[in-house]
Amino acid sequence: MTDASPATKIEPATRGFAVRAMHEFRQVSPVLLAVVLIYAGFLIVSPPFRSLDTLFTVLTQATVLAILACGTTVVLISGGLDLSVGSIFAVVGIVAGQLFTTYHMPVPVVLIAGLGAGTLLGTLNGIVQVFTKVPAFIVSLGALTAYRGIAELATAGVNMSRFPPEFKIIGSGYIVPISIAAVVALATWFMLTRTRIGNHAYAIGGNEEVARLAGINVARARVFYYAFGGFMAALAGLMQTARLDFAQSTRGVGYELFAIAAVVIGGTSLFGGRGGVIRTIIGMLIIQTISTGLSYMGVDTSTQRVTIGVIIILAVYLDVLRRRVS
Amino acid sequence: MSFLKMAKSVAVATVLASGLAYATSASALTIAYSGYPGAISAFWASVTDAVKAEAAAEGITLLDLTTPEADAAAQKNAIDTAISQGVDGLIIGAVDNRGFDDTLAKAQEKNIPVVAIDTGIDHPWVKSLVQTDNLAAAGVAGKYLVDHAKKGTVLIIGGSEGHQTGNARRDGVKAAVEAAGFTTIFQICDWKDDCAYDQALTQTKANPDITAIFAAWDGGALAAENAVKENGKGADIVVVGFDGSPANFESIKAGEQAATVKQDSVGMGTQGVQNIVKLIKGEAVPALTPIAGVLIDKSNVADYLK
Repeated sequence: MTDASPATKIEPATRGFAVRAMHEFRQVSPVLLAVVLIYAGFLIVSPPFRSLDTLFTVLTQATVLAILACGTTVVLISGGLDLSVGSIFAVVGIVAGQLFTTYHMPVPVVLIAGLGAGTLLGTLNGIVQVFTKVPAFIVSLGALTAYRGIAELATAGVNMSRFPPEFKIIGSGYIVPISIAAVVALATWFMLTRTRIGNHAYAIGGNEEVARLAGINVARARVFYYAFGGFMAALAGLMQTARLDFAQSTRGVGYELFAIAAVVIGGTSLFGGRGGVIRTIIGMLIIQTISTGLSYMGVDTSTQRVTIGVIIILAVYLDVLRRRVS
Repeated sequence: MSFLKMAKSVAVATVLASGLAYATSASALTIAYSGYPGAISAFWASVTDAVKAEAAAEGITLLDLTTPEADAAAQKNAIDTAISQGVDGLIIGAVDNRGFDDTLAKAQEKNIPVVAIDTGIDHPWVKSLVQTDNLAAAGVAGKYLVDHAKKGTVLIIGGSEGHQTGNARRDGVKAAVEAAGFTTIFQICDWKDDCAYDQALTQTKANPDITAIFAAWDGGALAAENAVKENGKGADIVVVGFDGSPANFESIKAGEQAATVKQDSVGMGTQGVQNIVKLIKGEAVPALTPIAGVLIDKSNVADYLK
């Protein structure tokens, strides 16, 4: 939806709303068409898939990874990379679990502490990267391992389960998780398209040197994007912990790659400067529709993984073809 | 030799000497035991207690040479010392089952029989292995499902494909429930709780005839229980796990998860002592003594909650 030309950065307010909306719809339409076709395909072949309940199940199951992927989208647009979000996700779950079971903290305190912890770890990734100039891949690979270790240490063999109902609500049922994901997606979209710091992500991801010469404080902006990614990982981690109603240090393994998969299926560039968050959400819906749909058809989880792997490559290939044609 | 190592050797020698003195005076058997440190694993703490209890019951002098850390080299040193000083038998729960070759050759030379517990040691002198039989333990879970679930389909949520433990647990449940006329659906979840949650939710929606769920690990079972609860089917679907984790005990106590199967640490320790005694007396012992699991449900969960 948000896109990617430098014009967006320089004069976002001067283009008419209708023109913008049309432009954005054109950008999103291929992935939107894909998800509709895939959904329709399952409706045809699988009778149990034909219910409103199933649609809500798909949407709900996609929420956790969709929220995580909102953060990943912003980081990737800015030309960064954070492989540690799956581990941040785990740390936050353990923080929440410990605060509830060992320290008997009230729900609002746990939510704030959890979101704070995730934001802090994301910020740390950004700061280390900006100051050491070590490539993002390496910094976040190190963080992936280190944060997982922190999650394991913080577990301390404690049983963390059976949380208060006011906490469980953020992951239970359809309405609350879907609403949270929708608000997050819209807020991210607004940030990327309507705010200066969001527009700077495209500028920095497109050409960092030019952005710096244009007077953008690149270091500060980068730290912000990583903090944003950490915050989203934390929110996703809290929601899953609430949903499963017990905390464990093994959660979120490989989630960073699922998030990146949704981002690239949506058509956001891995190399920065181009992309948008609504497409990421649709990308995640494609993955979830396929995996839930295949489950309904009785296909085993291993075959589901093969299918999703092929879809990832196919999606990017189609994007490459489309660009070549235009 | 470092001071620490020397201190350890002296300590072992003292234990051995006092043990031998006692053994000679009482003309009873002396057995050396080395397991995995109990401070690290509650399972092993319980195995060691059972070994001690059984030895005491049989009037055997037991030398517990278990090292305070999971240190394979220290464990080997302690066992080597025990062999050279002379004991009647050895029970080994190997920290690392490789690298015991020369140790066991020496035991063979001195005709000291060896029983391996929990982990197999690949050496011809080890005549007996006492090990949890995941297949049989899962069979216990399967039987519970047959007895407690309405006839229908059992969703089996598995660990990793090709993982021996995970596969044995799947096959044990599958055989038991299919023999009783249930059908099964199997999904691999790589020991991931969130996958277990999603599969439990989706499969019970897509297949209304699912009456029971077995997960090969307790995290998966708890996730599955919470998914069916969310789905409003918590009361209709019997969920059984494997491991015996504290969070699952809480759920069983609350009447949600139906049951879990725990490895029988007491059985393992007791059987280990009984086997070594038979070997010392020259009686025949099967190469593998399988230990089944203990089923924990609402009726006995209080014994396991601390």
